[in-house]
Amino acid sequence: MVELEQLRYVRLVADNLGSAADFAQRVLGLEPIDRNQELATFRSDFRDYTLAFVKGDCAVQSVGFEVRYPHDLDAALEGFRGLGLSAGRGSAEDCTLRKVKDMAWFIDFSGNRIELVVRPLNSGWRYFPSRDAGVRGLADVIMRSVDIEKDLSIWTGILGARVSDWAGEAAYLRFDDAHHRIVLFPAARPGILAVEHEVEDVNLLMRNSYALRDLQVAVVHGPGRRPASEQLFLTFAGPCDVLFSFVAEGAAVDAERHRPRQFPSGPLGLCNWGSECKIAEFSDAARDQNGQSITMRTGVSLT
Amino acid sequence: MIKLQNVSYVRLGTADLDGATKFATDYLGLEISHRLKDSVYLKSDQREHSLCYFHGSPADQTAAFEVSERSELEMAASELDRLGHHVRLGSAEEAELRYVRRFIAFEDPTGNKIELVWRPACSNRRYHGERDAGITGFSHIGLCTTDAARDETFWTKVCNARVSDRIGDAALLRIDEVHHTIALFPTDRAGIQHINHQVATGDDVMRSFNFLSERQVPMVFGPGRHPTSSARFLYFEGPDRMVFEYSSGVREIADELLYRERQFPFNPKGFCEWGAKPQIKEFRN
Repeated sequence: MVELEQLRYVRLVADNLGSAADFAQRVLGLEPIDRNQELATFRSDFRDYTLAFVKGDCAVQSVGFEVRYPHDLDAALEGFRGLGLSAGRGSAEDCTLRKVKDMAWFIDFSGNRIELVVRPLNSGWRYFPSRDAGVRGLADVIMRSVDIEKDLSIWTGILGARVSDWAGEAAYLRFDDAHHRIVLFPAARPGILAVEHEVEDVNLLMRNSYALRDLQVAVVHGPGRRPASEQLFLTFAGPCDVLFSFVAEGAAVDAERHRPRQFPSGPLGLCNWGSECKIAEFSDAARDQNGQSITMRTGVSLT
Repeated sequence: MIKLQNVSYVRLGTADLDGATKFATDYLGLEISHRLKDSVYLKSDQREHSLCYFHGSPADQTAAFEVSERSELEMAASELDRLGHHVRLGSAEEAELRYVRRFIAFEDPTGNKIELVWRPACSNRRYHGERDAGITGFSHIGLCTTDAARDETFWTKVCNARVSDRIGDAALLRIDEVHHTIALFPTDRAGIQHINHQVATGDDVMRSFNFLSERQVPMVFGPGRHPTSSARFLYFEGPDRMVFEYSSGVREIADELLYRERQFPFNPKGFCEWGAKPQIKEFRN
């Protein structure tokens, strides 16, 4: 079993690097770090960067996780190949681009690219935001999965993650003291659904909800509170066909005693404030396999 | 000095008693305490009732405050009389309709109808709302004022209220530890400007925002957070365009000696630290 230590970064493919970078700076309020013709990276906390927009031939969408030793990469690769996944070691060039010492990658059963990195760069300088959005750092990533069960076998079987809770078929996965760092959401196609940054508290979350209105950013879900993690969330449209969220608060998980709980699928299982949800994957989850809408306990029909 | 102990109830006239009752129960989440032919009594906490709708003019609005001793009613009556207010002792029948032992009625300098009540009834069972709005109780009222300085003097010198903060000239007044029980908003009329109920958590505020929005209840301010009292709030319009507020987390002022009132600007930033902009006439320039 390979131990994941940290969620490190999200890399998104941006056709228009300028507008993506503008979003990161003006809307998310992140601190710009590196910028050239094919790359724009942004800091959100103690890490050198947590969000990268890339374009060009070698640009791929991926999520990066830190493991401690190069031999962890070998063990992980063996596991991935055992499951028949395509996987490989990163080249020196890949490592330089990502500011890490060593890396491996794999493509999950859905087609999402995940990277494992050793000794990723920390900044050593404190984070200085472009806007006072109160961002505390990259918190978690919601990924689409076309086959939750098979993808889960990678996370729980090889990477040592544990299911914290279920919302319908969606699985919240944890590997450190947070309730979740990854969420696998059932969908018809792969890809990152949402990138979530933590903000200080409810006041910053709500202040951002009004700031987004002024910035004319489309809010697609929230503000609300997730029943499973008790996180406050505000999800909005971003560049690269990816959603972004601000999250705050949330319950701590007692790893010894916590057992995964099943919450309803669809908006009812994702928000207990009753906020409007415009995310197709979240609403579609309320339908069973026959396409019938499931009537929830409250009698509300989610059609 | 008239010692106000607590705000007891609000009485509102309405031409549509059924509509007002539906709003108060299904939307606001109050519980019907009982009905009479021309009035409905609604409870929100341990009080027998804290809101009464009666068949009458919507301009007929009264707020009541509790005093602890019967003698204080007489003292208040003579003091108010001396200051030129017309004071009326409520009849036994009127007192019965208010579920109080005894009361006097008068108008404050703006002309707001105020009652001082002695021994208002408590309920023998707890409040159970018509919907799960999380209401913990009736908490404060906004009153209209046509002269902020004059009315502030009335409530703080003739009565025992203290200024907790000011937003422009609007004074937020406390009569116990709660940051404010009366708020005076400058305007051109007399009447109750808004009616506040406390809810248990900020989550309840947000749940009600979505619940009421889905039902097309006009939202007039919020969700937001007051920089003055630190409460998270939501204002919306009810029957006869009365503004109702839910809030949670209002600050308490324990140390009367050390507390110093603060001045906030009369603009959206003075009313909300999240960035919400009020659509309420009395909260705008």
